[in-house]
Amino acid sequence: MGDHIQHTHRLGVRLESIEGDELTLRLPYREELVGNPDTGALHGGVLTMLLDQTLGMSAICNDATKPSVTPTLDLRIDHLGVTPAGKDILATARVYRTTKRILFAEGYAWCDGQRDRPIARATGSWVRVGDVDMSWFLGPEHAGEPL
Amino acid sequence: MSLTEIISQEPSNENLQLWLQKIPYAAFLGIRAELRPEDILFRLPADEKLIGNPSLPALHGGVVGAFMEQAASLHLISRMTDPVVPKIIDFSLDYLRPARFRETCASCVLTRQGRFIANVAVTAWQEDEQRPVALARAHFLLPESDN
Repeated sequence: MGDHIQHTHRLGVRLESIEGDELTLRLPYREELVGNPDTGALHGGVLTMLLDQTLGMSAICNDATKPSVTPTLDLRIDHLGVTPAGKDILATARVYRTTKRILFAEGYAWCDGQRDRPIARATGSWVRVGDVDMSWFLGPEHAGEPL
Repeated sequence: MSLTEIISQEPSNENLQLWLQKIPYAAFLGIRAELRPEDILFRLPADEKLIGNPSLPALHGGVVGAFMEQAASLHLISRMTDPVVPKIIDFSLDYLRPARFRETCASCVLTRQGRFIANVAVTAWQEDEQRPVALARAHFLLPESDN
């Protein structure tokens, strides 16, 4: 596929699952993602990047509409805890309200195996500006593929 | 030298570069910084691995956010009497224009620094500082200094 999202592809971000209205991506741990070399904690900006990607994907793929080109309007991240070194990070998002022009999405990120204790929470809005072909991505048979 | 040791030194162009090279995700993104008379100019050179939308092409919005968050953190450290690595509490990001595939710059204003909390505003632009591509606001928790 020639139109990968280069940044997340390079980092190995994968589609983990689509269940109901929830889309989950997995970001494998790698040392390039560290923000504090003294502690090994993940960079806060990594969570911003991953949550923007996950909420944005859930907006693009929202079932209530045709897949659309949906640039991010705004995004708010609450950092609920420090991300320990060595763990994959997962992020889950869903669109909770759609209007003609705006998609409202929310989601959270957690360390592998600790879904009940999110490390970051995100909410944001996306603007629907046009249709886009997402057939290469939407099928469940694509789970686990790189983005 | 640990990050804490580096940040305890007076900010200089050389030290800013040392800080950024010491932070793996900042180094991976390729963030650079230089002192200006009133603040620090942060630069994110265009790099294919930062692309989020290959068809425009545009930089990954989350990467622009991560860049701005890193800028906020270093700007805050540079203004501390006893520098410590601050902890991000929350991050709010407004996207104003697509970030095209070219160099992105950012500068910050320390809006308020209290005993425990700091509020930093970030502006990001390309080519024209008067036409920002994104605005952000970050709250940081200031860990108790050892001194």
